[in-house]
Amino acid sequence: MTRQRGFNAVVALLSCVISLLFGLADPAHSISAPLPPDSIYQLPVTLKDQDGKPRSMLSMRGQAQIITMIYTHCSYVCPMTIETLKAVDAQLAPDQKARLHRLLVSLDPKRDTVPVLKKMMDERQLDAKHWTLARPAPSDVRKLAAVLGIQYRQLANKEFNHSSALILLDAQGRVRARLIRLGQVDRDFVEAVKAVLGERPRP
Amino acid sequence: MRAPLAAMLHLSLLCAGLLLSALACAAQYVKYVTIPAASFRTALPPDGKSASAATSTFRMRAMPVTNGEYQSFVRQHVEWRRGQVAALFADAGYLRPWAANDAFGPHLHAGQPVTHVSWFAADAYCRSEGARLPTWYEWELVAAADEQRKDARDDARWRERMLRWYSRPSTEKLAAVGKTAKNLYGVYDMHGLVWEWVEDFTGIMVSTDNREQGDPDLRKFCGAGAIAVGDRENYAVQMRLALLSSLQAAYTTGNLGFRCVRETREKAS
Amino acid sequence: MFVRALVVVMVAMVAMLTLAACGKKGDGSTDSVSGVSDTGGSAKGDFGPPQGEPIKAVLTSPPNVPPPTLRDKPAKVIVDLEVREIEQEISEGVRYTFWTFGGTVPGSFIRVRQGDTVEFHLKNHPDSKMPHNIDLHGVTGPGGGAASTFTAPGHESQFTFKALNQGLYVYHCATAPVGMHVANGMYGLILVEPPEGMSKVDHEYYVMQGDFYTTGKYREKGVQPFDMEKAIDEHPTYVVFNGAEGALTGDKALKAKVGETVRMYVGNGGPNLISSFHVIGEIFDKVWFEGGTRFQENVQTTLIPAGGSAIGEFRIEVPGTYILVDHSITRAFNKGAIAMLKADGPENKAIYSGKEVDAVYLAERAASNLAAVSQATKSAEAGTLTLNEQIKAGEALYAGTCSVCHQSNGEGLPGVFPPLAKSDYLLADPKRAIGAVVKGLSGKVTVNGKEYNSVMPPMAQLNDDEVANIVTYALNSWGNKGAAVSAADVKKVRAQASVASKPSE
Repeated sequence: MTRQRGFNAVVALLSCVISLLFGLADPAHSISAPLPPDSIYQLPVTLKDQDGKPRSMLSMRGQAQIITMIYTHCSYVCPMTIETLKAVDAQLAPDQKARLHRLLVSLDPKRDTVPVLKKMMDERQLDAKHWTLARPAPSDVRKLAAVLGIQYRQLANKEFNHSSALILLDAQGRVRARLIRLGQVDRDFVEAVKAVLGERPRP
Repeated sequence: MRAPLAAMLHLSLLCAGLLLSALACAAQYVKYVTIPAASFRTALPPDGKSASAATSTFRMRAMPVTNGEYQSFVRQHVEWRRGQVAALFADAGYLRPWAANDAFGPHLHAGQPVTHVSWFAADAYCRSEGARLPTWYEWELVAAADEQRKDARDDARWRERMLRWYSRPSTEKLAAVGKTAKNLYGVYDMHGLVWEWVEDFTGIMVSTDNREQGDPDLRKFCGAGAIAVGDRENYAVQMRLALLSSLQAAYTTGNLGFRCVRETREKAS
Repeated sequence: MFVRALVVVMVAMVAMLTLAACGKKGDGSTDSVSGVSDTGGSAKGDFGPPQGEPIKAVLTSPPNVPPPTLRDKPAKVIVDLEVREIEQEISEGVRYTFWTFGGTVPGSFIRVRQGDTVEFHLKNHPDSKMPHNIDLHGVTGPGGGAASTFTAPGHESQFTFKALNQGLYVYHCATAPVGMHVANGMYGLILVEPPEGMSKVDHEYYVMQGDFYTTGKYREKGVQPFDMEKAIDEHPTYVVFNGAEGALTGDKALKAKVGETVRMYVGNGGPNLISSFHVIGEIFDKVWFEGGTRFQENVQTTLIPAGGSAIGEFRIEVPGTYILVDHSITRAFNKGAIAMLKADGPENKAIYSGKEVDAVYLAERAASNLAAVSQATKSAEAGTLTLNEQIKAGEALYAGTCSVCHQSNGEGLPGVFPPLAKSDYLLADPKRAIGAVVKGLSGKVTVNGKEYNSVMPPMAQLNDDEVANIVTYALNSWGNKGAAVSAADVKKVRAQASVASKPSE
């Protein structure tokens, strides 16, 4: 009996050591490496994407992405948001484009339900491998906008007034650059994207 | 004779226990007053031009959150202690004047409004009390009242009184809550004590150059863009809006505190 | 030969044209009508990227000005400016909460050169209650920097601009409500030197006018709050130079010496009033009006718009205290718009002599009296004074002095001034009459049955001879058949008067 228990203990210990080693080898996913103090992934918020899948902030760690906030029934700027993101893409090499994710979060989760988000993905022909449309819980919208520095308010006619920044996050969720005026390719922003994509994951 | 004595002893101990718990409850009792639903003239019209603002019935804390109350909060919620909070949620000035990470210390008073707290911290505190931060409209509605009137804003002399606070330098010691005149609703300290966070301060999209009025750069703002501030003669409200629009959610500063609101159990009619 | 001459002539022409072009200042164009060239404005103001190590700007508090940059290439200049809200005196015993750039009103003086790149750091002290920003009139760009410098208390903002235009520019806070921020003293000056610099002078001074609005009246003591209604109505309580009444007077006056040149960089922060800036006793040899590139000469008073500036230069010729005023003059004397420049040095009587003559000026009245009075004086000296001479002299002196109240016919004004004609009071005791003239008379008197209760002031301007002659004239006129009084009598009464006025010893 004792020997069996001893054997089990050794196996348990070995598996711990092995998983730890694996963890160290891929520090971005390591549970031991804490998030940097300015990482927005510290926000305890979970989004739902266009397929209804839950996406926690923490789970986004490990890949650089550009994040912005929109609402689907916007007629003027929000289409420009997607066009501007595509314009940034056009400045990147194919492998850079592949390693960058694009996340559009709804300001109006009451109207932007999962089916509505899915419809927008299809209409704009956005590839789910590199684009995500998501909605937060209504009580989380203000917090997410606050960490991103995005201003918004809903008007009497249900339209939104909001600042339309594109925000570049590195693999650790830190804000690295902002593009604040849509419709033109901001060279500094593109350079920042390339720089972030060139970085190796660090603990 | 010994048995009745013992019984009396037990009884008095029971009474003492009840009294103490009652006192403890009283200490945790926070006064909220009911603010009836209203439609009113606002400095930030919801249509960007002149529409009135509307609020449902809600309950507002009669006084801002104090040092004493916030101290209890950080003792129960370690993640909000100075030194523990992430820089994302509070900047380097968080609770700077406090003597210790979880104690405001002898030179500050329990009854003073807590300051040097960020929007995230204020929001977390309100949620711990089953409440939330007030919206700008809720705050503006209650702030328009004086001791006798629901809306004193057209009274030039009242506006002058509100402006007085800004003339006094900030180095004066902060008064305790509940000392400035109770307004018609029974709410204290809406003026003359501290700036207060509101839930939607990031929606106060006045241009940072406050002379640009209603002429937004449409590629920076979706929708109507930067809002023109109405009520230009009310310098006190303009200053509130200017201060709130200068902040980011993680900012902390002296003179900036907060109070909370709760929903009502009744439905708005 | 002819061809050679032609070539020479053409070469000469080309040379002359080239030289003429070189002689023009600046790379701007020439006005085809006036023939005056301009400096090219912002289009020609970019001298390329900054060269050399970044320089930390020297900022000065008023009334001092930073030294000339003495640069000949564009540089990167770092400006660090802090906003502080301070309570201090605006007038003796009157305290006001000022919002300041650099702790002073006006704020620190900034000096750069055209073409410099300025990295501007705006800090808002943690004790501030308000957010603040800055609009520099020398900045080309949105809000003059205001959009990029909106700063919450306890935070800092930064932006960078290139100074494309030369000139003297106002800077001020532009946070809502803008009128209040400016009215609380949030303004100052930034000098963008022309590429060749400003010419050398002995003294450069920084003066800035502002209007202030308090709920209390002018000089009402205590802590005075800002008055929004007065500001909106443009009714200032104080109009002062450099943030307070007396900021530049007394031992805080500006200083210079005879023979020195003084240049004043003068701003007007407003918020509302235009200034009519004048230095009493001096003339501006040059005024760069509106703080621009061209100067006017020989200017007495120059207009400085609210949110504008001017540069004035003069040479001190004679010593004295020169008073700077806003020549909308009640602002100077009833609201505090006065400053001083004290100049020491040797007098120069040829330019300004000071007072040369101080004599009695008797005007027309004196001319007609002179004859009789001088006759009486001569006779009195000779000891031959007659009654007639006394009466004639007294008549001349009575007119214009006594006649004002007692009338030329001696009848006085019923109920107010008693009569002298047939006056029982006068004739009963001539000595008492002398006393009235010399000492004055007040209280109830009864003359000819009527009561009078007035105040007759003592006629201190008359000497003994004159009093004697006047009283003699009164005693012998309008049906009065009195005697004569002499100078000696008057002397005696005067002595009594001094004795009577002393308390018992």
